[in-house]
Formats: sequence, C-alpha cells, structure tokens
Amino acid sequence: MKETALQVLLVEDNAGDARLLREMFSKERPDSFELTHILRMSEAVAHLAKGGVDIILLDMGLPDGHGLDTVRRAHAAAPGVPLIVITGLDDEALVAEAMKEGAQDYLIKGQIENRALPRALRHAIERHRMQTETDLIRTQQMEFKDEFLSHVSHELRSPLTAIYQFVTILLDGLAGEVSLEQQEYLGIVLRNIKQLQSMINDLLEVTRVQAGKMSIDLQCTSISDAITYTVNTLQGAATAKGITLTSEMERPLPSVCADPTRVRQILIILVDNAIKFTPTNGTVKVQARMFDADPNFLVVTIIDSGCGISPNMTERIFERLFQTSDPALAGRRGLGLGLYIGKELAKRQGGQLWAKSAPGRGAEFLVTLPVFSLPNLIAPALKREGLREGPLTLVVTEIASQTGWLSDEVRAGQSQGVRDILQGCVQSDLDIVLPKMGSAGATELFFILAITDKIGGAAIAKRIRERLDACQPVQQAGLNATTSYRQIETIKRNGSESMRDFVEKVAAQIQELMNEEISSRMVVNG
Amino acid sequence: MGNKKILIVDDDPDVRQGMYLRLKANHYDAIFAADGLTGMSEARKHGPDLIILDLGLPAGDGFVVMERLKTFPSLAVIPIIVVSGRSGQVNRQRAISAGATAFLEKPVDNAELLAVVRRALGEAAQPENPAG
Repeated sequence: MKETALQVLLVEDNAGDARLLREMFSKERPDSFELTHILRMSEAVAHLAKGGVDIILLDMGLPDGHGLDTVRRAHAAAPGVPLIVITGLDDEALVAEAMKEGAQDYLIKGQIENRALPRALRHAIERHRMQTETDLIRTQQMEFKDEFLSHVSHELRSPLTAIYQFVTILLDGLAGEVSLEQQEYLGIVLRNIKQLQSMINDLLEVTRVQAGKMSIDLQCTSISDAITYTVNTLQGAATAKGITLTSEMERPLPSVCADPTRVRQILIILVDNAIKFTPTNGTVKVQARMFDADPNFLVVTIIDSGCGISPNMTERIFERLFQTSDPALAGRRGLGLGLYIGKELAKRQGGQLWAKSAPGRGAEFLVTLPVFSLPNLIAPALKREGLREGPLTLVVTEIASQTGWLSDEVRAGQSQGVRDILQGCVQSDLDIVLPKMGSAGATELFFILAITDKIGGAAIAKRIRERLDACQPVQQAGLNATTSYRQIETIKRNGSESMRDFVEKVAAQIQELMNEEISSRMVVNG
Repeated sequence: MGNKKILIVDDDPDVRQGMYLRLKANHYDAIFAADGLTGMSEARKHGPDLIILDLGLPAGDGFVVMERLKTFPSLAVIPIIVVSGRSGQVNRQRAISAGATAFLEKPVDNAELLAVVRRALGEAAQPENPAG
C-alpha cells in the first residue's frame, strides 16, 4: 500500500531548533513526510484553518503565544488534528496540563533521539485515530441507547393504557357490581399501574435530559401558585399515610424567572419523595422565602420528619439510578431517577438543588430559583445605549381565540412559535422580547421593549402584524393576532442619578404599563 | 337532542374498546377507525362532533389525518384531541400547530379525558364524575 506523505506543521520560532528537527526528518524516506515550518502562532492558526494538516509539532514558547495558551489556540483552530508539544524544559506539571488541553504527546528539546521523532509522530496519529474512533462509537452507543429507551417507553404506553382503562371500568362498576374485596384488589392494580406509568415517564425524561432535548420556557412564574398546586396534588397521598403536609410562605414573595411546569415538576418530585420517606404521623413542610446567601434567589425548602439521610449520602442521592438501601422501602422503590431529574431541572433554570440532613432528624431539600427582575432584564439594553432619556416604546401583541376560549394546550403550543416570530421582527441587539408576564384571561400577551420612538414602534408593530397574518400555525389554530404599541413617557436620567436607579425607574414604568394591559383584558374577559 | 358523536382513531383495539366504554358511560356515541385512511373516510361518512386521534397510525399517521381533514371545509371545524403514546414538547407543538385542540399523553386519566372532551365540545363544565 502506498502511503501518502504525512503533512506535518512545525511551529517553532528558534531557527536552530527548527533546523535540528528538519534534519531528523531528512533521514526518512522523502515521500513519507512533508514539513511546513511556521514561526508565529497567528500564522499557524491561519494555516490550520485551511486544513490539510495531519499533525502539529508545537513549540510552547513563541513570540505571540506562550505555554498552555499556544496549545489551546492550536487545538481550537484544528480540534481534529493530533498535536505534539515541544518544550525546552523538563516541566512535568506543564506537560501534564498540555496533555489535558488536548496534546497527544510531548518532546523535550535536546533529548530527542534521531529516529524517535518520526516514530512519535506516527504513534501520535495512530493514538489520535483510535481515540476519535472510540469517541464516535461511544456517541453512537449513547444515541442508540437514547433511541431505544425512548422507543420502548413509548411502546409500553399503549398496553398500559388498555390496562388502566379496563381496571377503572371494573372499579367504577361500569361492568357490573364489584365486591369490597374486589375493589381493594383492583385498587392495588391501579396503584401499580400509576407506579409503572411514573417509571416510564422518568425514563423518557432522563432520555431527554441526556440528549439535551429538555424544553424549558422561562417566564415570570409565581412560586406560591406552584407550591399550592403541589400541596393540593399530594395532599391525598399524605393523608392516606397519616402525614401532615403543610406549606409556609413568606409574604410578599417575588416571582421567579422559571418554567411553571418545570417548577411544579421539581416540587412534586421532592414532596412525593418526602412523603415516601416519612413514617405515619410524621410531617412534611414546604417553605418558601428569600435566599439569605443571595438576594437574587428565592429558596424553597422541603422539610420532613422522616429517617433523614446520612451526611455522606446527601450528594449521592442525586446520582442517576441511586437506590435507597432502606429495607422498609425495598418494595416501593422507583427507578432512582426522580432526584436526578429534579436537580437537572433546577440547574437548567439557573437554580440549585441540594439536601441537608442528620440521621434521625429528618431531611431537608433546598431548591433555589432566580428571582424575576425586570430591571435586570432591561439593564443591559439601557446600559449599552448609555441611555439618559427615551425614546422607549412598548409593543404589545395579543393572541386570542376566535371562540373566546384559549386552552393551555394552544397557549403552550403557540407560545414559542409566536416568540420566535417576534424575535425576528426586532433588532435583537437592541430591543427585548420580554418573557411571559403572567396570564391575561382568555388571551396570551407578549411584550417587547423597543429602544425607539413612536415611528420605530409603529414599524415594528407593522412587521409583526404582517408576519403573524402569514403565520400558518396561528391561522390554522383559528387565532386572532393583534399588535399595538405605546410610547413610554419620556424618562430622563438626572445628572446625579445612578444607572441602577435609572434602570429601576424605567422598569417600574414599564411594569405599570404592562399591568394596565393585562388587567384591561382581565376585566373584558370577566 | 341525540348524543354527541365521537370518532376514535387508534390502532390498538383494546384501547379503542376501553375508550368506547368510558365515553358510552358518559352518554356519548362512539365510532371507530384503526388507521388513518379509515379515520378520514369515517369522518366524511359520519361527520362526528369530535375526533380522538392517535399519532402513530398505519396508513397515514395522525399528522396526515389532521392535514387531510383541513382540506374539507365541513370537517376542518371538527375539534381534534390527540391522545398519543408519543410525548415531549416537539410532538405537542407539532400537533397543536397542525390544528389539534388538545394533546394528551397515554395513559390519559379518565377525569382529564372527559373534561377535555366536554370543553372541546363546548359543553358546560360538570362536576367530575368519570364513571358517568
């Protein structure tokens, strides 16, 4: 087999060192290596961008790059090309760092044997090829596993549906009278169906987490609503176990910037978990307050009077597939995915989830979520413009159903699409499409803060109208879209006023306008 | 006034029958189809008040069915509830964009199904009593 010449890029500013290395190559067959010698890092990056290099020999001390920085830049310019660093010093720590940054091997100047260099190059390339192959196989296996899990979970749902349907048909007496004993046994079947269903859902959720496909729609979200919902949903399960489930909220609590569905999901996981691990006559309490350590966050704490967690386990319980060793719960275990999913959900919304506990004293789970702050949202735009006074315009788009009823399904289904269209109608580096500000009766409202005057606002509104009128999903769903705009009263920044105070003043005014828009629709729609 | 007619399109015969019994107990009439093509012809033949539609179907999946129904003015107005083993935001959004009134994941809670059916039919909300 005829080998094509290996394209070697030598990046070395020292003429003497470069000559020595060249000589080592000259002893090889002329058609086996082709050497390109470059003196500067910047030129090397440009050369790598063109492609065609098989391996890089990189000096770590260049006029326009030094140490690990050179390795990072070379690796970034050509991540798929193996790299050998050349160093003047026998510095093991530095070399180890270089390897971490993606170098395959290292050579020390003055200690390179004649035939060793070409061999090192060939080995580096071979190692690199094997590594790439292994990575590829691993990725393929992961993808296959995800696909497999997703497929299996979906297929399991049809038979589960039929089982659920017929068990409930029997239980509800639709097929004749059921004795008390039969009712009890059917109840057991139903409970296990629910458990199987939640396992399937967990499996699907984990597949989504790992494939990075978990959808999160950040908006202005009420934490008290989420807590009330969770407590109401799980009150039955708590009472059935003789557990007192209560909530305690500091007032007034600010809203958080989070996905309401996902917040409920986290709280359900945690409260359900607390109920599971708390014995009869115990208590589970859900508390919400400002987070002492950081006023930009709110913290929800779930405290139970259960068996607690030993300190060395408080981190492990969040691992995927973690199972409790408590024999009392052996039969009622899930897949060990709930806390893992909860932690991932908290992280994706900019928060944290962790546990505190002492054995025998119950467990405490804490979840933080970022406080929704209009000033923080608009500050970058105002600061970037160095704005001292208007013009600012609030553009309002309203989506309403022709039938007068807008289901949560339609809201959720259309929201992202409309948001994308709005984003396409504004200057992304200037205007801000604000997150959802709350529910407005039978309509869905979208707000844009445009750094422009009335005329600019009118132009944006016109663009939005045209795009939404031509938007198939919106039209197909039988929705009416209307867009209006109103200039925000001229706001001046006083000479002595700090940027922060100014931003807060503007935010307060925008908030007031949005509240007006929202409440006017609440009145109209009863 | 006669009972409202609901077309159930699902390829699983057990799921179809289970849904039929539940709807019948709540005073709805149900007709069936096991695949997309039959679903469309049954819709044209009977002009149901509501369609409960699975997504994974032989001979034209749920999305195809929704698209075809839209081409008949008399059928385009029938509300569609998608009930599917498929889940996730992508399927949900796609179904809603295609014109579905609601998207429910299998297995659907009886009370939830009936509430969604009533709302889609424009019936006044009643106290929850899934047993009918």
